[in-house]
Amino acid sequence: MSKLNEVKEMVQKGRTKKIAGVVQEALDAGADAQEILDAMVDTMGDVGDAFSRDEIFVPEMLIAAKAMKLGLEVIEPQLASGAGEKLGKCIIGTVEGDLHDIGKNLVAMMIKSSGFDVIDMGVDVPVDTFIEKIKENPDVKVVAFSGLLTTTMPALKASVEAAKNCDVGNFKVLVGGAPVTEEYADEIGADGYAQDAGSAVTVAKELIASL
Amino acid sequence: MIIIGEKINGSIPSVAKAIEAKDEEFIKDLAIKQTEVGADFLDVCASVKDEIELETMKWLIDLVQSVSDTPIAVDSPNAAICAEASQFCNKPGLINSVSLEGDKIEQIFPLIADTKWEVVALLCDDTGIPKTAEQRIDIFKTIMAQAKEYGIAPSRIHIDPLVEMLCTSEEGVLMILDVMREIKKLEPDVHITGAMSNVSFNLPYRRIVNMGFTVLAMQAGLDSAVLDPLDRDLRGIIYATEALLANDEYCMDYIEAYREDIFGIQK
Repeated sequence: MSKLNEVKEMVQKGRTKKIAGVVQEALDAGADAQEILDAMVDTMGDVGDAFSRDEIFVPEMLIAAKAMKLGLEVIEPQLASGAGEKLGKCIIGTVEGDLHDIGKNLVAMMIKSSGFDVIDMGVDVPVDTFIEKIKENPDVKVVAFSGLLTTTMPALKASVEAAKNCDVGNFKVLVGGAPVTEEYADEIGADGYAQDAGSAVTVAKELIASL
Repeated sequence: MIIIGEKINGSIPSVAKAIEAKDEEFIKDLAIKQTEVGADFLDVCASVKDEIELETMKWLIDLVQSVSDTPIAVDSPNAAICAEASQFCNKPGLINSVSLEGDKIEQIFPLIADTKWEVVALLCDDTGIPKTAEQRIDIFKTIMAQAKEYGIAPSRIHIDPLVEMLCTSEEGVLMILDVMREIKKLEPDVHITGAMSNVSFNLPYRRIVNMGFTVLAMQAGLDSAVLDPLDRDLRGIIYATEALLANDEYCMDYIEAYREDIFGIQK
């Protein structure tokens, strides 16, 4: 088990040069790929929490995610055959009229690291395009909208309403972005609000648990 | 950035006083403090009368080594003193310095040829400090050719192009930056060093000038410097510049140094 702890430490400290070797050692020591994946996902959860508590900086979160990605490459062959457990699909994008993507990308990265299958729609995404994508993926679990401008908050509202009213599948709607507050999220009918990339993961997991 | 801690130098009045009074604790304290903030070398320069320079160097080196494992930069204008004082060191350090002046290279290069010692080489010769970039580059080439003869790899050599004073030579500072760029082009593995504070002599509020120059010099190839490692703002500027020049993946060194309280608002 100490090898698993070492894997966790490599992710948490973002040791991009060492992680592949340590993951391989863990496999050699008898840990299975799923166990290693779970350990890495847990660690990314901790990293996200530390970020939410202002204990670490953005690059530290980025490098942890990069380390996890490199670790994942080592176990992927085994996971494909054993079908690693996934939390489900998450469609994410920045709403129409808004070109900001740094925060949205961080959220996408953290949600992906936590075990979701992320479909990133990019920025300036029209409401109809979101809805089409939802229809293409009726098994989607979370739809996440980002908006960074006060001027695009109406677009956020329109996106949430369209998503809630489209008669497809069974998913929850998550919103976030600098001007967005918990109150505003409630007001426009979103199911969840995330203040930052760390809490986005926690909220997304809570949302799918309530599905 | 390779940091050569400058604080143990007899030309600094408080250190001269400590040497005179044989104040061991004062010297040890300077060594400990510079070690704590991660200096890569501790410069030791006696700056006393010739007759007592060697014994003073021994006294200083012994004191430093009693409290620190950081390699020592043996600093004297006299190559013979550098050579003899290097024997007091319990691990390879840095000879500070040689140049094409007199027989300095002949005294030092054979001594360090088959060792791990590194060396600072100043771009001057018997005619003094050259006025033009071309002359300095010529001296550089001669020094590198001699180093090659002794099998001293470029990565063990720190070239000091000799920083000009801004107040008397505005163009001189630009010239030095050109020299740095040219050296890096000719010999990418060689280190470029300098005494950052020379640039600001005779100007008010010198530290700002030193910091501006350090940033420019780093972009021109400076990767080693003689400076005060306890100067928190200067250290912060250096970490920030490394990151800005894409020499610091994910800003990890910058963040780590901040956490270790090397710069920033004192914790």
